[in-house]
Amino acid sequence: MSEDLTRRDLFAKVARGTVLATLAGGAGFLVKKANGQVVWQVNAARCINSRLGEVGVEACNLCTTECVVALSAVRAVNEYSKCGRCNICPAYFNITSAVNEQGQPSEKLCPRDAIARKPIGKVDPEDPANNFYEYLIDEEKCDGCGKCVMQCKDPLGLGSITLRVRYDKCVNCNSCSISRACPQHALMQLPVEQALQQVVLKRTE
Amino acid sequence: MQYRHVQAIGGKGAAPDRFTATLRGLAVDSRGQLYAAGDSEIKVFDAAGRLKTRWPTAQPVHSVAVDSDGSVCAGEVGQIEIFDGSGKLIDTWRDQKLFGPVTAIGFTKDSVLAADVADRAIRRFDRHRKFLNNIGKDNQVNGLLIPNGVVDFAVGEQDTIYAANPGKHRVERYTPAGELLGHIGRFDGVDPAAFTGCCNPTNLAVRNGIFTTEKAGPRVKAYDFSGKLLAVIATDLFDANCKNMSIAVDARGRVYVADTVKLAIFVFEPVNV
Repeated sequence: MSEDLTRRDLFAKVARGTVLATLAGGAGFLVKKANGQVVWQVNAARCINSRLGEVGVEACNLCTTECVVALSAVRAVNEYSKCGRCNICPAYFNITSAVNEQGQPSEKLCPRDAIARKPIGKVDPEDPANNFYEYLIDEEKCDGCGKCVMQCKDPLGLGSITLRVRYDKCVNCNSCSISRACPQHALMQLPVEQALQQVVLKRTE
Repeated sequence: MQYRHVQAIGGKGAAPDRFTATLRGLAVDSRGQLYAAGDSEIKVFDAAGRLKTRWPTAQPVHSVAVDSDGSVCAGEVGQIEIFDGSGKLIDTWRDQKLFGPVTAIGFTKDSVLAADVADRAIRRFDRHRKFLNNIGKDNQVNGLLIPNGVVDFAVGEQDTIYAANPGKHRVERYTPAGELLGHIGRFDGVDPAAFTGCCNPTNLAVRNGIFTTEKAGPRVKAYDFSGKLLAVIATDLFDANCKNMSIAVDARGRVYVADTVKLAIFVFEPVNV
């Protein structure tokens, strides 16, 4: 078996583990919510930050500013199975900042420094372009501003980062203030079972 | 050096000279005929851009190349279809192990090259289809870095192989045996002489220089073989969502670029200033 296949297997195992852990956590919070109750979720196909075809526009940060929770219940989520593990990740770096001596942008994109990266696999310390990178979003720092989502979107990126309502943070308002403000009507209410199913489908596609 | 836009060929539509869903590959032959791989069809345009003939492929087609004997190769998933110049199917070369999506095909003096996206490498075969070696795979990351999902390459003088390595923001030069000779290109998000984004250039052509296309935003450029930028050929004609824009250059120096959203082929020619 080639080394590449081994790495793919590793990625797949990590992705499966992440999905299971996330689902276990998410499911726990969902189960706590009453049966038959509905929960809020972001429709990535409507959100202007992730919707395909919207390029050259500023990221929308209404999820940050409109949520009643102090640090918004909407957070960026990186779907590892779709991530390209790029050296120059436009969601991690400010790609228009000056290039440093290693040939990389000198500034990060996230204003809250909520994305961490580390080289994975066999690491070449001399040339960053010779490595794959894992990008991890620190959900305790992320406020859902959507900048990384906009930059990760196809065709600039692969669209692995999307905004999601975190059920453990969301207070499940009857009339979500983000949904009232969102001009794209991207916040939608789903039955608990469907919300959980959607996450499963999204994460295993 | 400057270029001007002189023509648009094809476009989205159901007419015979148009494309309905995809436009993925371009090639030119020694007579200046343009071959376009789109949908599940090869279309041939004459040097004036008029549709000359077209024929179907067995699967959606990812690439097209014309061999020195005039035969036309169409890259598909898991196979290459080989046609004569009139579109008559001569043979289907299947290799489920060594061919994933075949996004580029090329020829050296004594071998056939095929880009395999699934393994992020260029496969080299002898003329009897015996596998000889991989190109672009003997490195730290076991292949070309292609988050964009396309492997593209071109064969230059003395059988030097130029491969796009977009994740490294480079065009790499290889011997047919797979030895890396060097590269041009670097990352910079502002300097037009460099390549920007996560992964550029995505596609390239070689003829008296290196011609590249980029995505986000779409851009076409010409370099000399030392990596010096000669011209930014075009930026604003293309749909902003274009990516993996195939490119070909004919003997007259005319540059053909596939807009993958508008499904049109934009033609540029050098201007003497």
